[in-house]
Amino acid sequence: MSDLALTPRKSATSTNGYRIVQSISVFVIALVIISPLFMLFIASLKDDRFQILADMGSFRAFWVDNPTFNNFREVGNFAGDLAFGRYLGNSLFILGSTVSLGLIINSMAGFILAWGSLPGRALILSVIIALYVIPQESIIMPLLIIVSRAGLSDTFTAQILPFVASPLYTFLFYQFFAQLPKELYEAASIDGASIFRTWWSIFVPLSLPALATVSILMGIETWNQYLWPILITQTDYARPISVAIATFFGQDSIYWDRAMAASVMMMIPILVFYLAFQRWFISSFVGSAVKG
Amino acid sequence: MASVSIDNVAKFYGNHQVIHGIDIDIADGEFVTLVGPSGCGKSTLLRMIAGLEEISDGDIRIGDRLVNDVPPKERDIAMVFQNYALYPHMTVAQNMGFALKLKGESRAAIDARVKEAAAILALEPYLDRLPKQLSGGQRQRVAMGRAIVRSPQVFLFDEPLSNLDAKLRVQMRAEIKDLHQRLGTTTVYVTHDQIEAMTMADRIVVMKGGVVEQVGRPLELYDRPNNLFVATFIGSPAMNLLKGKVENGGFVTEDGTVLPLPPTARTGAVTYGIRPEHLMLDETGFRAEVAVLEPTGAETQVLARCGSQTLVAVLRERVELKPGDRIGLKPDLSAVHLFDEDGRRLQ
Repeated sequence: MSDLALTPRKSATSTNGYRIVQSISVFVIALVIISPLFMLFIASLKDDRFQILADMGSFRAFWVDNPTFNNFREVGNFAGDLAFGRYLGNSLFILGSTVSLGLIINSMAGFILAWGSLPGRALILSVIIALYVIPQESIIMPLLIIVSRAGLSDTFTAQILPFVASPLYTFLFYQFFAQLPKELYEAASIDGASIFRTWWSIFVPLSLPALATVSILMGIETWNQYLWPILITQTDYARPISVAIATFFGQDSIYWDRAMAASVMMMIPILVFYLAFQRWFISSFVGSAVKG
Repeated sequence: MASVSIDNVAKFYGNHQVIHGIDIDIADGEFVTLVGPSGCGKSTLLRMIAGLEEISDGDIRIGDRLVNDVPPKERDIAMVFQNYALYPHMTVAQNMGFALKLKGESRAAIDARVKEAAAILALEPYLDRLPKQLSGGQRQRVAMGRAIVRSPQVFLFDEPLSNLDAKLRVQMRAEIKDLHQRLGTTTVYVTHDQIEAMTMADRIVVMKGGVVEQVGRPLELYDRPNNLFVATFIGSPAMNLLKGKVENGGFVTEDGTVLPLPPTARTGAVTYGIRPEHLMLDETGFRAEVAVLEPTGAETQVLARCGSQTLVAVLRERVELKPGDRIGLKPDLSAVHLFDEDGRRLQ
């Protein structure tokens, strides 16, 4: 047999070996990521909170003998007058408002930075990037004072407004818009579109991948907020689910069973949110990788 | 429709001047082509007419109106871009009707105008398609349709055929010319392709380094180029140029070949120009050796060496020649061009 015929077979064997190693690696990584979530879900189906604690650290954490949805039913009534649904509703409202406003504000800012005739654009971009590297926790105390002085403590506004404009998402939109051909902007301006109309009618419909990416990142960030809401909310009125879960961890006793059920309930909306946008989210990352 | 007047227009990017005081008057309904090599400032000038670039100095008028500080949307112009700049998420009909929609025209009026333009450009079957579902030529037509529906005073084209293949380019060239003849709208067309400029324009503006080298009708530029740049830029194959001097009523090349000259009072160093089709096979002509033969069917291009210089002759007749043959080439004396040492035409 000729060398030409042999070469692909050798190559195929090594490719198969590589694929097996690759598959095992992916499986192990997936297991590491999924196992805590699986453990959480299994624990939420167990009736005995002491048993949950005892099972942790053994393979029993991944098994339930008599699954029950009691914990989920009880979670809804745990907080007395305020049903758990209230916290969930608060979180959903904060999520929806922050993401909606965030998409509008950050994409507008990114568009103007990319295409507007803005004096000092390079400086503004540098400042935006510099702001991004400042951790949120480091400005939380001044922010708390500002919000308190503005009389916004314990309000939804206090949980939405500070997070609407983000240097990261503005920069992400800027990068996306800047890579679109400038002729689109020019054609729109010759067609008679105002800068707002150009953004809304031309650039926003073309930025679905960026919108999806920002929606998911912003959604996850908002949904998982814990430190800020615990500082800013004093009552159940605007308290989100992330803070509400903390009430299961009392000084005298920890309700592991309900905490697990509440955590599962908290995860579901953000998972649905992610699944709804993930197609564009992935395509946006693939697109940016291909286009460089 | 309207005239376009460009009066002493200049453009600076920082301290770097790219347009050096250009004056061009474009008549109402005229088709003018701006042609020149890359970086000559032709697209910048077009974009200044469109309002997409600020004018550093001078005035631009569309009709009687000074438009220096008028935004693009208020200049009553339409522009066709090199990459078409169609809105990817809109259908052909939506692309064409977008400007009218922004003007607040009724749905019925928009539909009527879009259908009318689509009929002119044979785009009716594609009105519901997205740009990505169209071929290059169809996209180009949509870009033109978008310009037509607005019935602007001036059409601006920025190298609109550059992205098309050679065959389609020839077809679209004819379509654009036909469209201009039917609509009669004042048109400014930018290209780096001198064939496009020659075949389409009423008048050509040849530019180089941000200045106008010559303005004229295509055949004027071809027959009487003002300088060496225009002489070599216009025409394909390019004009043959030989360096030498005028002596005893004849032209003597640097290596001593003597070429006949029309009567001239000029003496001394000149550049002798003769277009390839003005060289004829004639045994009484100057001697040259055939280097390459390029028959195209309609004509034969002969690359011949005369001393150290290479000449191109285009022969309409079929000839039995082969590389290495010695031939006689006789220039048509009425078509000889002479240029001085600075490259300017000698009368």
